[in-house]
Amino acid sequence: MKFSSAIRIFLISGVLALLGNFVGFKIDPIKALPGMLILLALVIAGYALSKVSPVKLPSIAYISALAIIASIPGVPGADLVTKYVGEVQFLALCTPILAYAGISIGKDLGSFKEQSFKIIIVTFLTFIGTYVGSAIIAQVVMKFTGVI
Amino acid sequence: MNKKSDWKVHILALIMVIVAEFIGIKKFQVGPGTVLLLPMLYALVIGMFLPLLRLVDREDMDIASPYIGLSVMYLTAKMGTTIGPNLPKIFSAGPALILQELGNLGTIFLALPVAVLVFRMGREAIGVSFSISREGSLAIISDLYGLDSAEGRGVMGGYIVGTLLGAIFNGLMVGFLISLGIFHPYALAMAAGTGSASMMAAALGPVVAAYPAMEAELSAFAATSQLLTGVDGLYMSLFVGIPVTEWLYRKLKGKAADNNTRKEAAN
Repeated sequence: MKFSSAIRIFLISGVLALLGNFVGFKIDPIKALPGMLILLALVIAGYALSKVSPVKLPSIAYISALAIIASIPGVPGADLVTKYVGEVQFLALCTPILAYAGISIGKDLGSFKEQSFKIIIVTFLTFIGTYVGSAIIAQVVMKFTGVI
Repeated sequence: MNKKSDWKVHILALIMVIVAEFIGIKKFQVGPGTVLLLPMLYALVIGMFLPLLRLVDREDMDIASPYIGLSVMYLTAKMGTTIGPNLPKIFSAGPALILQELGNLGTIFLALPVAVLVFRMGREAIGVSFSISREGSLAIISDLYGLDSAEGRGVMGGYIVGTLLGAIFNGLMVGFLISLGIFHPYALAMAAGTGSASMMAAALGPVVAAYPAMEAELSAFAATSQLLTGVDGLYMSLFVGIPVTEWLYRKLKGKAADNNTRKEAAN
């Protein structure tokens, strides 16, 4: 995708999120705009970085790194980043993603249905694996270090 | 190539977002956990009905699919800005709390073999098995494979199941683990932070109920573990979780193929 087309989509989906943030969380779009623009700047910078950087990493790795750095206490402007981005709700950013996913999912509905039972069971196993894996390591380390 | 305009897709997405947000979050208490219905799920469900109503055709679906990966980037940026302020706290967490983060990869060694060897799933298995399929996982899969790929179907399925049943399942599972008496309550509390707030609450609840005198420590351990997962989750999945899942998938697929040929030979 061309860089300019990507920017256009960033702007459109940003507007969707801003409206969702208003309808769902009653946050005035004017109040949420600075936070949304900060997010937009981070997204564009990270996206551009992933295109020009010699280190080939997915864009989200760059975007996340920039966002973390911009919000570390002590970094110039970090308190403003945290304050303004706080006006943009996490869940309001999720809805546009799943709206686009919903539109494109139609073509996969058949294989989705076919796999649904398997996916439910495997998802339950991911909960067990994630939880028990962590519990085992915590238990062993605490025994080893004499905490318990 | 004569490319169709994408405005219809954006207008539809706009209407879906507004309708979904207007309905808002709905919560139900079921047994040990809450069922959480979120606007994003409504948006997904509305989308599934669009082809039946003949509102979208195959071309619209193809137009919409790269937009998923681009709109996910806002979410990644937002999650990043919540990590920065918490970064200093991480250095004060103890070794058990930090090392147990690696345990989150345990899912790969339990879920993936079952998905591949028992259910004979294709690459959907990678998407659904590498994590507990929360929002960060959607971002990772959509960036690496696209959400409309086989891996994308896996993570989306896991996401839907987890959102609807994750809290209840975690509540029941932890209740069962407590009754086994193998784990110290501290270990159970530390394990509760897996990256989902509702699942953490559901997993911590039974531990606190069983050991009420330790409530303060248990809550602090769970909250710190949750924080750590928030910080390392994306990078751990990207640089360890996905590569390990891909590697194990290839190994298991090789094995599954071997078993098939052996069975055929025996017949």
